[in-house]
Amino acid sequence: MRLLLLEDDAILGEGLSGFLRAEGHVVDWFQRLLDVPALDGEPYDAWLVDWQLPDGSGLDWLRGLRARGHATPALMLTARDRLADRIRGLDTGADDYLVKPFAPEELLARLRAVQRRVAGTASSGVTLRGGVTVDLHARAAFLDGERVDLTHREWSLLEALVQRAGRIVPKSTLEALLLGFGGELSSNAVEVHVSGIRRKLGHAVIETVRGLGYRVTP
Amino acid sequence: MSRTGVPSIRRRLARVVVGISLAWSLAAFGVVWAVVYHQVDRVMDGALQESAEILFGLLHANAAQLPIGSGGSLPAPPHDEHLVWQLVAADGRVTWRSHRAPAAPLTGPAAASQVATDEGDGWHVHLLPFDSRGTVLVVAQRHADRRAARLKAATATASGALLVGLACAAWLRRRVRAEMLPVLQLSRQVARYHPLEAAAGLPPATRAELVPLRDAVLHLGERLAQRVTSERAFSAHAAHALRTPLAGVGAQLALAQRESPPSLQPRLQRAREAADRLGRVVTALLTLFRSGTEPAWQSVDLVALLRSLPVEGLAVEPPVQPAPCHADPDLLAAALLNLLDNARRYGATRVQASIVQDGVLTRIRLADDGPGIDPGQRQRMQAALDSERYDDGLGLGLMLADRVARAHGGRLALLPAPAGFAVEMTLADKPGPIATAPLHEAGTAGG
Repeated sequence: MRLLLLEDDAILGEGLSGFLRAEGHVVDWFQRLLDVPALDGEPYDAWLVDWQLPDGSGLDWLRGLRARGHATPALMLTARDRLADRIRGLDTGADDYLVKPFAPEELLARLRAVQRRVAGTASSGVTLRGGVTVDLHARAAFLDGERVDLTHREWSLLEALVQRAGRIVPKSTLEALLLGFGGELSSNAVEVHVSGIRRKLGHAVIETVRGLGYRVTP
Repeated sequence: MSRTGVPSIRRRLARVVVGISLAWSLAAFGVVWAVVYHQVDRVMDGALQESAEILFGLLHANAAQLPIGSGGSLPAPPHDEHLVWQLVAADGRVTWRSHRAPAAPLTGPAAASQVATDEGDGWHVHLLPFDSRGTVLVVAQRHADRRAARLKAATATASGALLVGLACAAWLRRRVRAEMLPVLQLSRQVARYHPLEAAAGLPPATRAELVPLRDAVLHLGERLAQRVTSERAFSAHAAHALRTPLAGVGAQLALAQRESPPSLQPRLQRAREAADRLGRVVTALLTLFRSGTEPAWQSVDLVALLRSLPVEGLAVEPPVQPAPCHADPDLLAAALLNLLDNARRYGATRVQASIVQDGVLTRIRLADDGPGIDPGQRQRMQAALDSERYDDGLGLGLMLADRVARAHGGRLALLPAPAGFAVEMTLADKPGPIATAPLHEAGTAGG
């Protein structure tokens, strides 16, 4: 998943982004609202937002984005544990609310739950064409029941497509999801990784929609 | 007594007013009765004398035409005669009389030459000398008639006074109720008054005496609201200042554990557990010291909770069967962890945990194998817990556990134990005063 983390505390932000990256996610970590670039057209799988930031309120920032039509799932990470705050956070547009201190593993579980809700599936397992099964929780792909090893980038690309199953995902979006801000990728990196996935899981698993992008179909 | 068992001002005042009114009414009844009785007697005496004098004049004026000396009586139509008269000669013979007067003289010859009122036998008489031969005019009323008249007048007047007194008592009672109404209204308004609500306030006092009370309550409420507001602000700052670094420690440790070699895994796991415990304690403290916060009630398996609270160097033996309970798991975990930490710090190596569920009450008992404390110290500590004097020889662990128990409608009790230290947390399934006292009667100590 490509995640945007808005957290001003350096120890928490660094630790959390490191943990999430170690789990295979792409994390763009910002400590101030001013540092966050315009998000129009920036594909993220989820925003992780602290309420209280040095230059403003993370909740107000989220409210503004929701008002402009952004529907990316958002999790509030905050020290505010009052019931009224939790209700306010969820009513303002957060999809989940996590009170500090929390275990990073719980954050991951909640991210998966949010993704399941967004995808409209009850479980983390998704069956694709060509006898391919993907378990987003276990971060594993299976071909005819046999587990297939994918590289880190291949898995991230397949995960991004599965989370948008049935929809055409442009190449530029996939590049952004794979890298995040500041990353560099060769111009044909997406094609290379799609080719690698097809070689391991079969050609039918990813459909190329010429001129538009890629798609997986459940 | 009111419903609270405290004497009611209104009822006491009403009782006093009614009592005084009744006593006054009875006294007035007695006095009025005596005065009227006496005065009516005097009036009747005057009337008797006046009647005698009028009769004297009439008899003298018509003496030549009247058959005085015949011993007969004055003819009259049948009627009930309450006033009779006689002319009694010096020799005691009745020479003439009214038609209801007895033929025998109403008084003796001793008084024949006097103007006097005499108490004859059954008659009240008035004597007037009638002529120079010693004849006496005797005018008389029956005692029974006079008594009846006096009694009737006195009783009627006194009864009137009594009725007025009783009516006053009833009226005063109503007035007491009416005058106490503003006090009752203010009491109800104060009971509904919540200083922290935005529209907090009390209506103007309707009696001058209540103005200082209302102002004092408002002033107290304002100070309380100010205090709570500043405590909440402090709590919010403290929450942010404590929770975020704790989350940072947790994240860094999780990352370190992920990246470290297997040899460091156990150490990092313990560090994570310690950070997790610290987080729970901080969460519990922040929750407890923030006014107006309710526990996050949910279903908790106490056995599973006890199993999830490892304390280094302490073997905890929870029951085997699950024990579901309605409580705040974070608060409960923080309280139990602190009790277990206490046991370890005081030298225990083993804690036997037992859970007794009795209706809405759940009792969690922890008994350790430590050195325990002497009975006197246990009783002093229990007294401090019962009165919430946490600065009186209690550590953070017992204080936190007691606060958590109280937040769950229960209490903390230090149980008598033959060896070691035994403590019992009683929890209800909702906040409020506990229905049953904890089992901590006097006995031997724990540690």
